[in-house]
Amino acid sequence: MSQPLKCSLCEEAATVHLSQVVHGKVTKVHLCEACAQKGGATDPAVFQLADALTSSVMAAPAITCPKCGFTDIDFRKRGRLGCPSCWEVFGEVLGGLLTKVQHEPEHVGRAPAGILPAGQLRRRLEAARREMERAVTSEDFEVAARLRDEISTLEQQLTPS
Amino acid sequence: MSVQDILDAESELTHLLGAQQAVVLSTRIRLARNLDGMPFPGWAKVPQRKEISERCVDALTELPKFRRGHVLRMTELQDRERAVLVERHLVSKELASGKTGAAVISRDQTVSVMINEEDHLRIQVVKAGWHLRGTWHIAEQLDDDLGARLKMAFSERLGYLTACPTNVGTGLRASAMVHLPGLCLAGHMDKVSRALNQDGLAVRGWLGEGTEAAGNIFQISNQQTLGLSEDAILKHLGGWIKNVVEQEWNARRKLAKDEGERFSDRLARSYGILRHARLLTSAESMNMLSHLRLACDMGCLPEGHRHIVDRLMIEGQPAHVQARAGEELDSDGRDRRRAAVVREALRDFPEVTAPTA
Repeated sequence: MSQPLKCSLCEEAATVHLSQVVHGKVTKVHLCEACAQKGGATDPAVFQLADALTSSVMAAPAITCPKCGFTDIDFRKRGRLGCPSCWEVFGEVLGGLLTKVQHEPEHVGRAPAGILPAGQLRRRLEAARREMERAVTSEDFEVAARLRDEISTLEQQLTPS
Repeated sequence: MSVQDILDAESELTHLLGAQQAVVLSTRIRLARNLDGMPFPGWAKVPQRKEISERCVDALTELPKFRRGHVLRMTELQDRERAVLVERHLVSKELASGKTGAAVISRDQTVSVMINEEDHLRIQVVKAGWHLRGTWHIAEQLDDDLGARLKMAFSERLGYLTACPTNVGTGLRASAMVHLPGLCLAGHMDKVSRALNQDGLAVRGWLGEGTEAAGNIFQISNQQTLGLSEDAILKHLGGWIKNVVEQEWNARRKLAKDEGERFSDRLARSYGILRHARLLTSAESMNMLSHLRLACDMGCLPEGHRHIVDRLMIEGQPAHVQARAGEELDSDGRDRRRAAVVREALRDFPEVTAPTA
């Protein structure tokens, strides 16, 4: 008799075994009754999260958040972080996970008022500069003029007042 | 203000006449937010959770949206009151079962903010029918108003920081509650579910995560929250919902055509059971009411009666039946009481006719 499988999300004995085939790649997840219920066994996020947790976090060395005392072991058990600072502390581990469960690893949405989403502005500025070079090369001066205005606005926004 | 007031009030989902639509029951927007520098609720100590709760309640009750609204602390409620809130989708099971959670709910019950659930703040806005942009704008405005009063945990690279990596970034979960009896009867639901899953959308049951799809009702929502703008998330969901609604109508029309008289017979039989049964379980009533809603959509019953069906779907749930009874009921007692409520509500319904839609 082989060792009973443990739940991919907690330490309980796994009783629910799922296999998913996406683009020819087989992923297997073993869950205990409670985690299967909680995650919804048909939910693809369960696969992605369990997969990412078992592959990336288990191999990582022990890390502790200096702000709240949360460790990578806690993260493996709970699948949740301790505090906002944990996002910095566990950056490397989370980076791998985010590329698996999320669309892109960088935010492109709203920001609180007063906080300039500088990263986004910088990325847009770089893109606009490249687009302007192309427009100038192809002598599309109308587009180039519009981009020049956008670039100067972006540059102003990025300069601390 | 109490849970009884919530039950007695005429809310958007139970009473707003004319807001109900075929197929899409409601649109929901959820935003996850956390206070800067505070541990997430699952890791915070009890005094920290209390502090978080007070700061959030104070900020929320200052907003005009919550004037004459409800502030409900889970510890101060009885089990059955918490169950009513869960059945109304005003709070999650997770919040209801915790000890330091609270909810601030607007008077019309379209906005509820859960405090100390998985994140410090879960802003939820719900509208009857399909109104993705309108629902989003209410949530966006609230987010701005709250952001002006509370400093939120935010990173330039990762966006709004949340307890779980599946919510980080926008913290946005947009969803539609859809009634798909046509696709279910035609046996196409698994296929539709798979297609949605593969394109980054989750399909869940009536009460959200890990619940069964009672009454052919499903909740469809975005999975990913990071690397996509709010606008892109809404467009993606919107496109798919439009597609699902079309497929549902195709399935319904095909069924009505192929089955002929048997189609209206099936709906009329469900109507007969609801109209005359003395004992109705929750599951049976949901499935029969699903047929009744289909009858209203297809012109077999007057469309103006649809809101009554929607109200019965909400009020026929166990905790609602119990709360309305005013006395402790056992399972049979609830089934008896549910049947009585349904019979009374359907008293003036006309007969089921052949479909016109």
